Amino acid sequence: MVMSASPTDGHPAGTGRYLQQSKIQAALGHAQDLGASYAEVRLMAITDSSVAIRDGKLERAIPGQEIGVTMRILADGAWGVHSTTDLQSLPGQVESTVRLAKAVAARRASKDRPVALAEVPILENEVHWKPKKDVRNTDLDTKLHHLMTLHDSAAEDERIVSVTCGWHDEHLHTELMTSEGMNRVWSFQRSLINATVTGRDGGDVVSYRTRHGGEGGLEVIEDCDLGELGRNAQVATLRLLKAERAPSGKLPLVADRDLTGVYIHEALGHPCEADLVAAGDSCLDGKLGQTIGNSIVTVVDDPTIRGGYGAHPIDDEGLDTREKCLIKNGVLTEYLNHRETAHHFGIAPNAGARAQDGLHHPLVRMSNTMIQGGTHNDLDELMEDIEYGVYACGSRGGQVDTGRGSFQFAAQEAWLIENGELTKPLKDVSVSGLTLQILNDVDGLTRDARLAAPGFCGKGQTVPVGDGGPIMRISQALVG
Amino acid sequence: MLPDDAIDRINDGCRTIGSFCTQEGVAQWEVVAYQSYGHQLDIEAGKISLAAGGGEGGYGIRVVEEGRFGYAYLVDVDAAPNALKQALDVARASPSVEGFVLPSAQEAKPVSGLCDQRILDLGPEDLLEQADAVLSEVASLDERAVVTGGGLGVGATASALLSSEGIDSSGITTSHGLGVQVSIDANDELTSSYEGDSGRQLLPDVPSCIANAVHWAQVTRGPIEVNSEPQDAPVLMTSEGFSPLFSMVVPTAVRGDRLVRNESFWSGKQGTQVLADDLSLIDDGRMDGGKSASSRDGEGVPTSRQTIVDQGRLVGSMWSTRDAAQQVAEGRIEEAHSTGSAVRGGHQAPPGTGCRDFAMTSRNGGHTQDALLERMDDGYIVHSVMGAHTANPTSGDFSVTTSTILRVEGGSILGPVKQAGLSGNLAQALSKDVHLGDDVRIQGSYSSGSMHLPDVLLMQGLRINPA
Repeated sequence: MVMSASPTDGHPAGTGRYLQQSKIQAALGHAQDLGASYAEVRLMAITDSSVAIRDGKLERAIPGQEIGVTMRILADGAWGVHSTTDLQSLPGQVESTVRLAKAVAARRASKDRPVALAEVPILENEVHWKPKKDVRNTDLDTKLHHLMTLHDSAAEDERIVSVTCGWHDEHLHTELMTSEGMNRVWSFQRSLINATVTGRDGGDVVSYRTRHGGEGGLEVIEDCDLGELGRNAQVATLRLLKAERAPSGKLPLVADRDLTGVYIHEALGHPCEADLVAAGDSCLDGKLGQTIGNSIVTVVDDPTIRGGYGAHPIDDEGLDTREKCLIKNGVLTEYLNHRETAHHFGIAPNAGARAQDGLHHPLVRMSNTMIQGGTHNDLDELMEDIEYGVYACGSRGGQVDTGRGSFQFAAQEAWLIENGELTKPLKDVSVSGLTLQILNDVDGLTRDARLAAPGFCGKGQTVPVGDGGPIMRISQALVG
Repeated sequence: MLPDDAIDRINDGCRTIGSFCTQEGVAQWEVVAYQSYGHQLDIEAGKISLAAGGGEGGYGIRVVEEGRFGYAYLVDVDAAPNALKQALDVARASPSVEGFVLPSAQEAKPVSGLCDQRILDLGPEDLLEQADAVLSEVASLDERAVVTGGGLGVGATASALLSSEGIDSSGITTSHGLGVQVSIDANDELTSSYEGDSGRQLLPDVPSCIANAVHWAQVTRGPIEVNSEPQDAPVLMTSEGFSPLFSMVVPTAVRGDRLVRNESFWSGKQGTQVLADDLSLIDDGRMDGGKSASSRDGEGVPTSRQTIVDQGRLVGSMWSTRDAAQQVAEGRIEEAHSTGSAVRGGHQAPPGTGCRDFAMTSRNGGHTQDALLERMDDGYIVHSVMGAHTANPTSGDFSVTTSTILRVEGGSILGPVKQAGLSGNLAQALSKDVHLGDDVRIQGSYSSGSMHLPDVLLMQGLRINPA
C-alpha cells in the first residue's frame, strides 16, 4: 500500500522536511547519468479540514492530510513525469521516467522544437508565509461558531428553506529539489467560508451563494463580518424570488468587482497563458506589444498580494513570485509563463507555474488577477449616462474558448438600469463576448480596485484564484 | 499497470484499520480504500508534449455511534490511530440522527464489463502509438487541422470496502479516455472543437470523437449573418452540447433529500407529470460496462436499476442511507430507504448521493437527425456550450454561450453563427415538445455519474441571442 514518509525532524510545518535530501539528490543525479538535461522532485503536503453545516446542524467535518510527490524529467527535449503518494518508491522510478521522456522525444517531428527551459536564479532557502493565527490550531467548536454566525444571519426569513454553510482551511507545504541545485521549501495557508442560501415562494425556488476567504489562517475568517455576509446573502435570495428574467440582447453593462474579476480572468487571463499561446490555442498569439483594449484598461496578475486567494510566495518551479502586468493602458505587455514557455518565446520567466497538488505537474496559471482602477467615483457616476442597461453583481462562474477568443460569465443577480437608475431586480443574467472586441468596449472604471470573493479555476487541474478590480462599465455586451 | 497484489494490499490495510476500530470499541465502522495507477499523455500544438505515469491512493474511515457519524482519511495505515481519533471526535460533536446505522451486508450480484484486461496490459508505448494514430487521423481528415490540446490516458483502480456490519467487497475497475481540442487556424479565422470519449473498456485506436472534432471545427467556419434580435426558437442540442447542462440540473433535482427539503424544482411533485409524457429517466447502477456502474454503491448497498421518471411522471428519487435516515428523523418524509445511490469520489470524503448511469429515453423512440431537422423547420443546432456549470440546479434556469451553433431554415442547415447566447429553463423545456435522436452517446464522469443521451430537439422554452 502507499505510504508517506514523515518529516525528518518531526515538525510537518515550517522547517520540517519530508524529502530525504540525500536520496533525492542521488535520484536527480541518476536521472542526469541516464541522459536527463533537467530533473526535479516536488513534494506537496496538504493538511486540511472541511466542515459543513446544514440548517444549523453539523453535517460533516473531515480532517485529513495528503502527501504527493511528482518527479519531472526533461530528456532529449521532452518531458517524462512520475507522480505518486508513495515517496519511498520514487528513486526506483527514475529509469522508467527517463525512458518515457526519451520515447516522447523520439516521436518529435523535425519541424518541432525540443523543450528547453529558460535560465533562472538557483536558490536554496525556505520561505514561510506565517499566518497571524495558524488555522491548524483552530478547533471544531470555533469553526462551528463562525459557521453558525453565517448561518443564523442568512436564515432569518420563513421563505429561506435551506442554508448550507461550508468551511475549508488548508496548510500547504512544498519542497522542490532540482538537478540544477534548486532546493526550496515554502509554506502558507488558505482559509475559506461559504454559504448557499435557498429560498422558495410558492413554486419559485432560487439559490444564492456567498464566499469569503483568502491566503492566511483563522484571521481571514475573523476579519470578515459574517453576520453581514449572511444577511446580504439572505436579502439577495429574497430579491431573486421577485426578480424577472433578464432582457436579451446587446446592452450597456455595469459589473461589480466580483464580476469584473471573473470577466478579466476569463476574457483576458486565460488567453494570456503562454502554454495556450504556444499550443496555438489563444486569440492573443502574436499580439504582444499591440493595442488590444481601451487605454483605460490595465490588468495585473499578482501572486504577491497577501490575503488574495491566489497568493503564493514561490511558483511550482521554484521562482519567487512577482506581479505581472498583462495589459498596460490597453497594450498587451506580457504573457503569463513558466520556464518552458519563457524559453519558447524568448522572454523573461515570470513565475506563472502552478500545480494543483503534489500529484500534478505545473501548468501556466493565474493567481490574483485584477483590472486597475479608473477615474469614475462610484456606481452612480458609471450609470448616469445609461438609458437602458444592466448592472450585474456576484459571480456564478465563467468559461472561455481561448482559441476562438469567446467567453461567458454568469451573474448571481442583477438590476435593470433605466435612465441612470437601478430599477427592477433581474435573475439569470449571463454575459458573453469576444476578448478582442470587448476589451475595447470597457469605457468606465471606478477608482477603487481590489480583490473580490475567492474563486477556483479549472484547466485540467483546479487551483484557487483571486479576481477583482473596480466597478466596470462595458458600452455594449451580449446579455442573455 | 496494477501490481498483482494490489487488491490483497488494500484488503490487508482495511482489515488492519478495521481491527483497530474494533479494539477501540467503535460501535460501527466502515473502511474504504482506493489505489489507482495509470499512464497519461498530453498533446499540445499537434504533438505529444508530455508522458506521465504514477499511482495514488488512501483510506477513509467512517464511524457511527448512536446515529452520530465522523469521518477522516489517511494515506498510511500507521496513521490509523490518529485518524480514528479525529473521526470519533467529529462524531461526538455531531448531532444524532435517529435510526441512522451503517448498512447491513446484503448479497450483491456482480456487474460485468467494469475491468478490461486489455487495459491492464497496456503500457506507455501503446498509448504513444494511439496518440500517433490520433494525430495522423486528424491530419488526414483536414490538413489545416491541429490538435492544439488534450490527451489520453488509461487507469486501473483497486478498491475495497470493509465494515463492522459484514460488508467485505473489493474489485478492480479500468478506464480509458481520450480528448482532443482540434483547431483550424486559416485565412484569419480560428475555429476549434473539443471532443472526448471514455469508458471502462478499451477504446478503438481512433474513436469517432476524433472525426467529430474535425467536423465541428470545419462546419463552424465562415459564419453567416443572422438576425441578431433575441428570439425564442427550436433548438436541436447534440448529445455533447446537451449533456453538460442536463447533468448539472436534472440528477441533482431527483436527489431524495433535495426533493423533501424543497430544494428541487420538482419538490412536491412526486407522482405528477414533470416531463413530456413520452419521456422517462432511468438511473442504472448495474449497466454492463457502465462508466459509473458497480455491484455495490459507495457504502456497500447493492445497486439497482431504477426508474425516476416514468412517461413524464416523477416516480422515484435517489437516496443514501444517511440522507434517508436524516430526512425521516427530521419529519420531512415518513419513510425513506437507501436506493443504492451513495457515491464516492475517492477516499477523502464520506459518501454523498448521486446518480450512476443516467439515461433519458422516449416512448416514441429515436429519430434520425434529418427527421429532427424536418420537424424543427426553422431553428438552430447547438453542439457545445460554455458555462454549463453556471446553470442553476435549484431552479433549472440557465444562460450559456455557444460558438458551435448552426442556423437551420426549412429543415436544412444554412450555416454557422459566430456566437450566440442560449437561455431558458431546462425543466420547463423538457416538459414541453421534446424529440430525441436515435444515437445515444455517453458523457460525464466515472464518479459523479455519466449521462446516456441522444441528440435532443427542444421545440419550446429556449431563447437564442445571436452575437
